[in-house]
Amino acid sequence: MELVGPLWRTLPWRPLAAAGALGLLVVGTPAATGAEPAPWQTLLLLRGAALAGALGLAFLLDDPARHLTGPVPTPRLLRQALRVALVAPLAALWWTAVLLLVPSASRPPAGEVSLEAVTAGAFALAAAALAVRLTDEARPGPLVAAALLVAAVLVPLLAPEDWALFVQADDPRWPAAHERWAVLAAALTAAAAGCGPEPLGRRAGR
Amino acid sequence: MTSTVSASGLSLHYGRTRALDDVSLRLTPGVTGLLGPNGAGKTTLLRVLATAVPADRGAFTVLGHDPGTSRGRQEVRRRLGYLPQTPGFHPDFTAFEFVDYVAILKELADRRERHREVRRVLEEVDLADVRGRRIKKLSGGMRQRVALAAALVGDPGFLVLDEPTVGLDPEQRMRFRELIAGAGEGRTVLLSTHQTEDVAMLCHRVIVMADGAVRFEGTPAELTARAAGRVWSSTEKDPGAKAGWRTGTGSFRNVGDPPPGAEPAEPTLEDGYLLVLDDADTEVAA
Repeated sequence: MELVGPLWRTLPWRPLAAAGALGLLVVGTPAATGAEPAPWQTLLLLRGAALAGALGLAFLLDDPARHLTGPVPTPRLLRQALRVALVAPLAALWWTAVLLLVPSASRPPAGEVSLEAVTAGAFALAAAALAVRLTDEARPGPLVAAALLVAAVLVPLLAPEDWALFVQADDPRWPAAHERWAVLAAALTAAAAGCGPEPLGRRAGR
Repeated sequence: MTSTVSASGLSLHYGRTRALDDVSLRLTPGVTGLLGPNGAGKTTLLRVLATAVPADRGAFTVLGHDPGTSRGRQEVRRRLGYLPQTPGFHPDFTAFEFVDYVAILKELADRRERHREVRRVLEEVDLADVRGRRIKKLSGGMRQRVALAAALVGDPGFLVLDEPTVGLDPEQRMRFRELIAGAGEGRTVLLSTHQTEDVAMLCHRVIVMADGAVRFEGTPAELTARAAGRVWSSTEKDPGAKAGWRTGTGSFRNVGDPPPGAEPAEPTLEDGYLLVLDDADTEVAA
């Protein structure tokens, strides 16, 4: 795959690195200060780190050369999928580091909280793919990041009680909430993939 | 001459704004100029023909391929070179790396052949000496030539150029004219520009657009002929003229319907263009 090398260099490393550093800083603060956070505080820190990581992914489809490299035979979906594939191993390593940085005594179940992080990332990617599909913006990242922040504030506030997503690990609704997280992750991944192909006609696309 | 690109009934709306209104045209090998005021629909037409955005209605073919199907669009893109109005680059790439990246996206798979092709186009646009320099270190004119090289890589049969000479100094513009003239040998080039001199010097055909529609299609000589007998000189600005300005010699050059006894002047392509636009305005107002 000749495309991998140059595509790697086109990735928005600055926002990705900044988001990664922010996430590590968030979860590393208790260890650095010698504090022993309660389980609910650790969960909050992990959710904060997941949000930071998702904010970085909001910039993943930014491409300053988008207009020049748009009408080429290599499909947009392939280029976007390759960007995600290049970043995914690094994101997995980063998230592992995030989990290891929090005190094990207060760490919530890793699988479920990782599912929340994956969903936040899928949200960012779906929003970025939608922005690329619907706008001519070469760098929709800031707009997508802003939308992600707004969603992060509004969803916990507005989600009905029966649809609660942000519950504590000792809450009896924890398993049901994570079934919802799984559905959401699948739906957002499908939405991101669905936005990738370029429409042949306007009725089909916009 | 057989047409290489033909479009019929292309229409496109952005919300309530009509960007393209039933545009039909035929292009043949050589350079065709696309003139029109800002907002005329030139860039939209180029983006549709470059398959960057689909039209609401209408159809077109490029070199015998219909981009209305997935396979057809793929085939069109294999034969297309596109230089957008604001190209955008990855500034840390060198000129060579960037054009090579575009060549990979254009499916030039064999590395040795691709690198040979990249060197060829960089030489063609006179950037061979700076091919190892990062794009962020290049001047505006050089960057524009990198974008042209990216459009030319893979030897496309259809080249779409959206205002490539904007922001270039006269010397750079002259250099660009040479490049576009060279690019027009053996391939179909559609050149959008505000520079009527570019059209007069480069193009074998010219299309004038206004309000999303084609208002004129013909040769530069035919566009100039539109102004025959409708350009005159006077010592004062003629209030009846559609346009009039003081020239360097102190006399006024007027374009429109001359009064009896007016001293006729030699029309230019720009005069013809102004009159076509004026006729379009009159038509819209009516």
